[in-house]
Amino acid sequence: MTIAQAMKSTAQTALRSGPGSSQRGQPAWGGGSLSRISAIARNAFREAVRDRVLYNLVLFVLLLTGAAIFIGALSGGQERKIIVDLGLSAMLLFGVFIAIFVGVGLVYKEIERRTVYAIFAKPVGRGEFLIGKYLGLCLTLLVNVMVMGAGVSIALLYVSGGWDPLALRIWPAVLLIYVQLMILTGVALLFSSFSSPALSALLTFFVFIIGHFSADLKSLAGTMGSTGARWLFGGLYYLLPNLANYNFITPAAHGQLPAATHAAAAILYAFLYVAVIIATATLIFRRRNFK
Amino acid sequence: MLLDHKVRDRNTRDVRLVLTIMLGLLSVFGLSHWIDSHRPAADPNVEEERLYLTSNTAKRMSLGFNGLAADWYWMRSLQYVGRKIINHPEDIQLDDLGPLNLKLLAPLLDTATTLDPNFMEPYEYAAVVLPAVNVEDAIRITKKGIAANPGAWNLYQHLGYIYWQQQDFKTAGEVYSQGAKLPGAPSWMEAMKARMAFQGGSRNTAREIYLRMYEQAGDDQVRNMARLRLMQLDSLEERDALRTVLKAYQTRTSRCPASWREIEGVLRAMRVPMDASGSPVDPAGTPYLLVKESCNADLDRNSKVPYQ
Repeated sequence: MTIAQAMKSTAQTALRSGPGSSQRGQPAWGGGSLSRISAIARNAFREAVRDRVLYNLVLFVLLLTGAAIFIGALSGGQERKIIVDLGLSAMLLFGVFIAIFVGVGLVYKEIERRTVYAIFAKPVGRGEFLIGKYLGLCLTLLVNVMVMGAGVSIALLYVSGGWDPLALRIWPAVLLIYVQLMILTGVALLFSSFSSPALSALLTFFVFIIGHFSADLKSLAGTMGSTGARWLFGGLYYLLPNLANYNFITPAAHGQLPAATHAAAAILYAFLYVAVIIATATLIFRRRNFK
Repeated sequence: MLLDHKVRDRNTRDVRLVLTIMLGLLSVFGLSHWIDSHRPAADPNVEEERLYLTSNTAKRMSLGFNGLAADWYWMRSLQYVGRKIINHPEDIQLDDLGPLNLKLLAPLLDTATTLDPNFMEPYEYAAVVLPAVNVEDAIRITKKGIAANPGAWNLYQHLGYIYWQQQDFKTAGEVYSQGAKLPGAPSWMEAMKARMAFQGGSRNTAREIYLRMYEQAGDDQVRNMARLRLMQLDSLEERDALRTVLKAYQTRTSRCPASWREIEGVLRAMRVPMDASGSPVDPAGTPYLLVKESCNADLDRNSKVPYQ
């Protein structure tokens, strides 16, 4: 179903429901809202595929194949560890690039092409639009991450010459990488709701960098002399996403699994943080004039 | 007709472009080759400049890619040592690399283990290779590994090996004993303490150490080194036996045998490995040399067994 068809179906349903259930710019939440969000998400996924975003998988496969074949001679027999480190690091890096460079264009492209007028001429809320776009890119990243994770597992089986339990033990780390990418996608969407693509990309990249220095921010806050500085760095520590919670590539390469409580808390943190980001983006985007 | 003319023009332009590309590529290849052959020799002082990132800074800057960065430093360590070994004019053993001036090796291994404290192979490599370069660095890095991996008994094995090599048998015994207390430690670790106390410098202790190293080593180079040292110990035993036979022959006949053939029967009775010419061979299969001047058995310098 295209966006237009979903919109038409929802509008007809809303009209049949009578007044109070749907007003222009403030559609009723519920089944209609979900179908609108779903249509936008599917469309965003199709656009990413059309933009050849998933072609990065070809590069990834080449990288991993090369590593599997050649790395053993260079690493003193540590090919399993290096394949996991290389594969998961590439997964994170490629995912970060996709989250940033596709994420900052999600809203901008619609405004640039003027298709945003056609979308909001229908009973689509701005929040629904943002959520749909966000979920569409998350779906793209999910496909990317799943294929890459399978690639790493297959490479491990190849170098081990048979079954290797490490091929399964890396998947919790893959999940944490995906959750990290979901946060970054949300951040990219937030910046793109009010800023240009170039600035949004730069700011999102800074958030990625600073997110990995969270521990240093916290210790810096503790060592500051002035109360103001302590509040500033402490505030930054809690305001910016703590991406260090999702770093499990190195332990995964040694076959370690994350503690269930830690992983569950990190995933809950991500969902809450993304909810805050999307809500903030919606607040800003609703006030935006496209003219 | 006009269309034919345009097609011909386009084809001519395409041919010219292809020729330009081919000529350009040939020139680039030729020029690259000339530059490589006329490149001035690298200044070893510049090449060997110290790592400008400390290990903690490298960890901070790795942004969650610390495992991959550790792998890179590990591979760099191997390439660094390998390059020096290849360029060295003589054969050299992995645990005797002092002549190679490996001043970057300790910082490289230190950084690899700071980036990934659970990466065991750099600790093992440091314990085997670094003592000949800088024994303090070897002990420091191995102890760092023990602090980061308190349950790893094999790191105590490596530390004990360092102290044993330095002939500090008392400390070596204590280290083996500490490692023996850890879950999963093999029973021979506890026996090592007594062995160090009474036979620290003996060949039997050395054989036990290298045998366990060969069994436990995760790194192929370390395993190969242990195998060569075991062959060396076997060769020392064999040469002692050959000297005994030669001395007995000299006492009986007042002269040294002119060749191994003269004592072949005795050697065969002792089940000494021999080749088709009747010469005893070392563990690598190379015949021993009969040194008539001193009536002694010696190792051929071309043998794979490390010379001692």
